[in-house]
Amino acid sequence: MKTYVAKEQEIEKKWYLVDAQDMILGRLASQIASRLRGKHKPIFTPHADTGDFVVVINAEKVSLTGNKWDNKIYYHHSGYMGGLKQISAKKLIEKKPDQVLYMAVKRMLPKNSLGRRQLKKLKIYAGSEHPHVAQNPQLLKM
Amino acid sequence: MPRVKRGFKARHRRNKVFKAAKGFRGSHSKLFTAATVAVDRARQYAYRDRRTKKRDFRKLWIIRINAAARENGMSYSEFIHGLNRVGIDLDRKVLSDMAIHDPAGFSKIVEMVK
Repeated sequence: MKTYVAKEQEIEKKWYLVDAQDMILGRLASQIASRLRGKHKPIFTPHADTGDFVVVINAEKVSLTGNKWDNKIYYHHSGYMGGLKQISAKKLIEKKPDQVLYMAVKRMLPKNSLGRRQLKKLKIYAGSEHPHVAQNPQLLKM
Repeated sequence: MPRVKRGFKARHRRNKVFKAAKGFRGSHSKLFTAATVAVDRARQYAYRDRRTKKRDFRKLWIIRINAAARENGMSYSEFIHGLNRVGIDLDRKVLSDMAIHDPAGFSKIVEMVK
């Protein structure tokens, strides 16, 4: 008996809708990441994209525990000397309300080309509107 | 005694390495020294990975069983504990295959285990 390997054309990819209002950032992100990878399906195959599409609304209303709005700091480096940039979670959600959740999920996915492809199935919107009505995403309770 | 030149043996020795290095990138399939190193290393990886293959597949089966068990409202660890308690002697390979090709049968096992 051979272990089943999912082929790209056999994989059924569904659309899910997630309301991020008052959800705790990391716990929500880990569940979204797991859906994007397809680890909730018995056909999960590590080298194939078996995951579903996830549409997130109300991303700006996501919550953080403790003092993390002030203390959680996102770092990145421009590559030049003294080029270490930083921004606190509070500032980031004011400037780019969808980025906080996006970064959390991105950093939970595998850091390779498959992970980058899986991240493209994540659609995050700050408000309660989303343009994917045609895909008829199913509401998912996290 | 006929005169013996070394070219024939040497060529055969090198060709053996080149044959094993087919498809390697750049100089690793074209230059003898680089190809020798690459082939030695490739064989070490092959030896190691024949062993890790068994662990990798077990990991994959466990991920799949976990997904299927959760669809039936149970975590993997609870499921396996239940199997041991009830005394069902199916291995992870068979269970993961059932989860994909016979979901109804898998649900039945979960019911028995509950």
